[in-house]
Amino acid sequence: MLMDLYTENSDEMDTKIKKYLRGEGANLEVLKDKKLKGQLAAREELYGKSAKAAAKAEKWLMPSEGGYLEAEGIEKTWRIKQESIAREVDILSSKNQYDIVLPELGPYTLDFTSSGRYMAVAGRKGHLAVIDMKNMGLIKEFQVRETVRDVVFLHNELFFAAAQKKYLYIYNRDGTELHCLKEHGPVLKLQFLKNHFLLASINKFSQLHYQDVTTGEMVGNYRTGLGRSDVMQVNPFNSVVALGHSNGTVSMWKPTSAAPLVKMLCHRGPVSAVAFHSNGHLMATAGMERKIKLWDLRKFEVLQTLTGHAKTMDFSQKGLLATATGSFVQILGDFSASQNYSRYMGHSMAKGYQIRKVLFRPYEDVLGLGHSMGWSSILIPGSGEPNFDSWVANPFETSKQRKEKEIRSLLDKLPPETIMLDPTKIGTVRPSRKKEQPTKQEREAEMEAAIAAAKDIPIKKKTKGRNKPSKKLRKRQEGVERAKRPFLEQQMDEEESSKKKRLKLNEEENQLPKSLQRFARKKAT
Amino acid sequence: MVGKKINSRDESKHKKEGGGNRKRNQLNSKTLNQEKNTKRRTGPHLPTALRKELELINHTNPSNIDEEEIDSDDANDVYEYEEAIPEEESKKNRRFDSVKNFEYELPDQFEDENLASDDNDEDDDVNGSGENHNGDGVEEEDDVRHARMLQGISGLPSEAFEGKKRKNDVVISEAYPESEYNPSRDVLDGDGRISIQDLLDPLHGKSGFSKLRKSVHRMERKSMSIQAPLPKPDQEKLERKVAYEQSKKDITKWEPLVKRNREASTLYFDESIDLGFSTVGAIASEFEPRTDFEKKIASLVYDNEVVEAHQKDGARLLELNKISVEDVKDRQNRLAKMRSLLFSHEIKAKRIKKIKSKTFHRLLKKDRLKAAAAEMEMDPEAVKELAMKQEFKRAEERMTLKHKNSSKWAKRILKRGLNVQDEGTRGAISEQLHQHALLTRKMNSMKDSSSSDESSDEDDRDEISAGSDQDVASKLLERAKEKTLEVIEEDDEVPKSGVLSLPFMVRGLKKRKETADEEAKLALQEYESSLKHMEDKNGIEGQKTGTSSGRRVFGAPKKKVEESSKRIKADNYYGNSDSENDFEVKEDFDVGHNRIDNLQKDINIDPDLLCDKSEIGQDPMFKSFDDIVKDPGPKITFEVAIFASDSWRKIKNLAKNDNEHMRRETKIDASIKNPSKVVQPPLSEQDVEEVGDESDTDSEGQMVDGILSSGTKSTYELPSQADLIRRAFVGDDVEEDFEKDKQEILNKENPEPEKPVLLPGWGQWTCVQQKKGLPSWMLEEHENAKKKREDALKKRRDVHLTHVIISEKLDKKAEKLHTKTLPFPYTSKEVLEQSIRMPIGPEFNPATAIGALNRPDVVKKPGVIIKPIKFEDLNPHERAEEHKRSGQKQKKKTANRLRLLAWSTYPFLVHKVPCPKGSSFWLPPIQVFASFNLLLSIVMSVNFLKFRRRHWWQSCYIWAGGVYHLLDHIFFFQ
Repeated sequence: MLMDLYTENSDEMDTKIKKYLRGEGANLEVLKDKKLKGQLAAREELYGKSAKAAAKAEKWLMPSEGGYLEAEGIEKTWRIKQESIAREVDILSSKNQYDIVLPELGPYTLDFTSSGRYMAVAGRKGHLAVIDMKNMGLIKEFQVRETVRDVVFLHNELFFAAAQKKYLYIYNRDGTELHCLKEHGPVLKLQFLKNHFLLASINKFSQLHYQDVTTGEMVGNYRTGLGRSDVMQVNPFNSVVALGHSNGTVSMWKPTSAAPLVKMLCHRGPVSAVAFHSNGHLMATAGMERKIKLWDLRKFEVLQTLTGHAKTMDFSQKGLLATATGSFVQILGDFSASQNYSRYMGHSMAKGYQIRKVLFRPYEDVLGLGHSMGWSSILIPGSGEPNFDSWVANPFETSKQRKEKEIRSLLDKLPPETIMLDPTKIGTVRPSRKKEQPTKQEREAEMEAAIAAAKDIPIKKKTKGRNKPSKKLRKRQEGVERAKRPFLEQQMDEEESSKKKRLKLNEEENQLPKSLQRFARKKAT
Repeated sequence: MVGKKINSRDESKHKKEGGGNRKRNQLNSKTLNQEKNTKRRTGPHLPTALRKELELINHTNPSNIDEEEIDSDDANDVYEYEEAIPEEESKKNRRFDSVKNFEYELPDQFEDENLASDDNDEDDDVNGSGENHNGDGVEEEDDVRHARMLQGISGLPSEAFEGKKRKNDVVISEAYPESEYNPSRDVLDGDGRISIQDLLDPLHGKSGFSKLRKSVHRMERKSMSIQAPLPKPDQEKLERKVAYEQSKKDITKWEPLVKRNREASTLYFDESIDLGFSTVGAIASEFEPRTDFEKKIASLVYDNEVVEAHQKDGARLLELNKISVEDVKDRQNRLAKMRSLLFSHEIKAKRIKKIKSKTFHRLLKKDRLKAAAAEMEMDPEAVKELAMKQEFKRAEERMTLKHKNSSKWAKRILKRGLNVQDEGTRGAISEQLHQHALLTRKMNSMKDSSSSDESSDEDDRDEISAGSDQDVASKLLERAKEKTLEVIEEDDEVPKSGVLSLPFMVRGLKKRKETADEEAKLALQEYESSLKHMEDKNGIEGQKTGTSSGRRVFGAPKKKVEESSKRIKADNYYGNSDSENDFEVKEDFDVGHNRIDNLQKDINIDPDLLCDKSEIGQDPMFKSFDDIVKDPGPKITFEVAIFASDSWRKIKNLAKNDNEHMRRETKIDASIKNPSKVVQPPLSEQDVEEVGDESDTDSEGQMVDGILSSGTKSTYELPSQADLIRRAFVGDDVEEDFEKDKQEILNKENPEPEKPVLLPGWGQWTCVQQKKGLPSWMLEEHENAKKKREDALKKRRDVHLTHVIISEKLDKKAEKLHTKTLPFPYTSKEVLEQSIRMPIGPEFNPATAIGALNRPDVVKKPGVIIKPIKFEDLNPHERAEEHKRSGQKQKKKTANRLRLLAWSTYPFLVHKVPCPKGSSFWLPPIQVFASFNLLLSIVMSVNFLKFRRRHWWQSCYIWAGGVYHLLDHIFFFQ
């Protein structure tokens, strides 16, 4: 029994260790360089130790597990109402279910800080507020008397940016206007790239702006040329910004290139919402033609197509997908771990409420909804990450910690050019522009194919005397030789060039004094 | 004969040395004199090789040389070759610097002793051979005398010396060249060696002589000839070899150490090193006075009395503190002087301040300014300061408006009227104004930042957006019209060179231009119609519209009545057959709508124009909307609802033909008559949500006024432009568009090769060439380029993905994030990638692992001197990492060895002492060895083996045997 437990434990640990090893190590047996081999072996050992320590830490220091709804019998999880959840959960959690009705200032949008502690809300008609979610205290609320289209927190809760009627403004927590960023124009949608300290915006003229909020430098300013769109989402994995357009395409942008990195046709109708999974592989798009699609961004293929409208979508930390249209929210979940999303929960607001924004609150099982009559919050069990890493995001951050973190994150700020489709490729060898030479086998195969083709050419029947078998044979042979010729010539050329190179190298070597010749560069093997 | 011999030798010498040895010759003149005539004259002669040749040629008459010789003899002085003195040495005309001749010059009367002795020696040889005694009498006599002298000195018989002489004829080659440190044997002993026999002889008959003689005899008997030492190079070679072996052995012991250091991922150089000083106090305590001043201070501080006083209660310090009277006086004097100086300065300043003369102050100011100007020229800092000051003044002026007749005085004067004032006052006022102008003048206009004042272009935009005013709108329309006309008239000059001159580019440009022209024309018509409309309104409304301000105000109720009344009139100006209100509006809308679509498609072509156009395009339409919306009364709200729903429907079936459309209109018209039907709140609510961003403009209008009434909801009923567009294009052939787009991008990234063309007329005058067509190489090139392109396209990541375009553009800025080549020790890309797959930062690793992952190659404290490597004994087979434990291991090993040694000597202990690990191999040999020892000791004890002498170790064995037995017994029988 004990043994069983032990093996189980070790298996679990093994899988965890494997996760933290982040892939296989190099095959050191093949290496010829002994020194390198030794170094790499030492490195691998260190990696192994680190992975083991990490696995242990995960086992012992991250004890909480996410909850989820479990249906019994003919019960269905999506039939469970918020009221029945509220009856079951503890008081603290039940406090997270509320509706705040503010009918005056139009549909609301919201944004959370990365720790989920603070929320910024913006009413379309100029209502801006910052709220501490822990004690539901209003930190600041003010009226800008202008249309506010979007609001987003910068690196911490002290600053937030609001897209207003004509310009983009940055306010601090006390509601003081710090900056007016006129260059962005009338912004429709905002995103903040945390690791790069970039504020990305798309404006009415479908211009995409990237501004560095630390230096104020405008890093990028590109015309998308695909018409106005207010669908914009940043991929948390690689910080690539995705825009949804009215012609059904989703384009992905980085601040250092004027052309989109990827442009994909996702829907036949206009794209109404885009959301990214936190692992960066999964993208969800919703189209006006009643389709929600899930995409694998490694292969750029559709994984799943669901029917339904979605005005706004969001992935939770644990991978639940919330979609909302009209006054109805639907939560999709992937419980088979096969990227097969199915209905998990649903929630319908009071009739007439138009949901404008859904956003999961980080590190909590809470979904925030901004709608035409204020904002609400509902419980979605299993949506948030149960264990928070105080180095990454700390919901219980003190002001001193916040200050220190600000400094640290500024020191770790990444330059804008590190944004690319596959950031894991940073540090590796630059992809060569030159096409690689075909291998010998390929070349041989090509030659053989050419020869076969030459052999297969039918020979015309000629008049008598010219139709002898010997002549036919000769002709065929000639054909074969002709087919072979370019390949052989190429080979000769290569040989010659290599010989020349060798000669040149030899000459160089000979030019050196005798004592230094042994230091001459050896031919690379 | 002797003389001849010498002579011949001399001659040979002479030949060798040429003329360089003339002096020597002179020295030997004593002997040479006789053969002077036989001496051959030297002179320039042929090289020996040539001479031999000549000899071969003249083999037939060998007498030739003799003849020559004779000749040369005859021609005595003519061919004498004397080595010329080098010119430098001749000091001719002092043309050369005096050069010290380092060649040793012998004095004229020099007699080479060596040489003489050499001669003597030879003579001796000759004498020794006994062939000729009478050759040289003098020498003989010398010898005798020398022998006598020796006899006298040493007291040995003369035979001793003579015998020596006899032995002397053996030629022994000298190992070293002769010199004063290595005198030849002849010099040392004159004529011969002193043998041991000679030394023994005087001792004859003394005690111990026989013993001595015996030993000497023995030695003589055994005497062996000593081998000649090896030649020096060989000797050195051997020495080197040995030295190499030795040093190799010496160095190899370092090998494990070096290997360990090489393999170690980190080298530590700071192990337990105390830097010594830890605190300031510690450093200060080390201080020693060096300079005179320091010493003086130290002597005062460490004065015995002071120290003592400190150590005691310190009362004595007060006594020591006494100051001399002179010191006090000095100080007082100094202070008084300073005070008086200050006072005088103060008085002076006061006086100057009191002076009321303007000229004086002016002059003073001038001086000061001059000084300032001079300073400004000198340093840029002052200039900056001045600029700052000026800027500050300007700001102050702008804030306070001090010189803008705002003072009491100025106000009073102005109140009275300037005309009443006298000349001076007027002048003062104007002067003040001038000053204001001067002060507020912008000195160096700074660049406008984004958050500073609005730039002109923004103003422009403001104007446009605020262009609800009729005249403003008309102006705008005018301008737009002009611009469009410009666009139309503007003849795009087709570039003749560069990329744009390529045929496909030209075609593309043309196409674009055509579409743009079309749009422009359409727009123009639109502008014209709306202008007319506007003018008409303007004419009627007159001043009313003029009074309204820059903002578009929707809430103003006064205007609306009039507007509504005029609206029908305005309709006539539309060239539509149908004069119905709704339809006209719709038409208007449609056109605008279309245009915006087009514009959005062409967004790349002319964004600026787009900016204007889109605004303008929306304007008239909104105007018409506004007209409707603002009309008071129930009827109008009606129409709004109808309109909204109608346009809604209309967009849904955009494809349907006009006729149907018309019918629908009439239907709706009919429905208008029924008021209860029209207002549909749920629909409007829906619309609120659908409303896109255009609705901003509407809601804004209200918010500017600060009235945020709930009634504004009605504005949401208007479906937004963008939304309408979006809906209109649902289900369009987006796929085809996308494919086209993709093709375009592919073409851009991998451009298609140009079709081969010949120069027109080139080679076309012969039918042959025409028939042949293009030259084959051109075709081939084209083919190749095509193939290349296809290959490139095939390699793209998005070949098989029809719905995806992945840009293959290389980002130059991101290139620095990749390595150009593989870093040195790596040979394959995979290995490199796999080795850097793990992040090593603190965010990704537990705290315990970060240190090891990020440790530098060398760990060293600053200020620690790295000492040269020290030898420590290492087991070469030990792994490098285990070296920390090596000390322990070493100790263990030595203990093991000791134990084994103990067994070998005391085998009986084997049973008692616990055997260490790995020693089992040694047990049998030890047993065997021990038993052998036992046997031997027994043998010894019974004197079985007999030696000639008793040695000490025998007794040892005996004793050991005894003790062993005893102990054995004791241990066994315990």
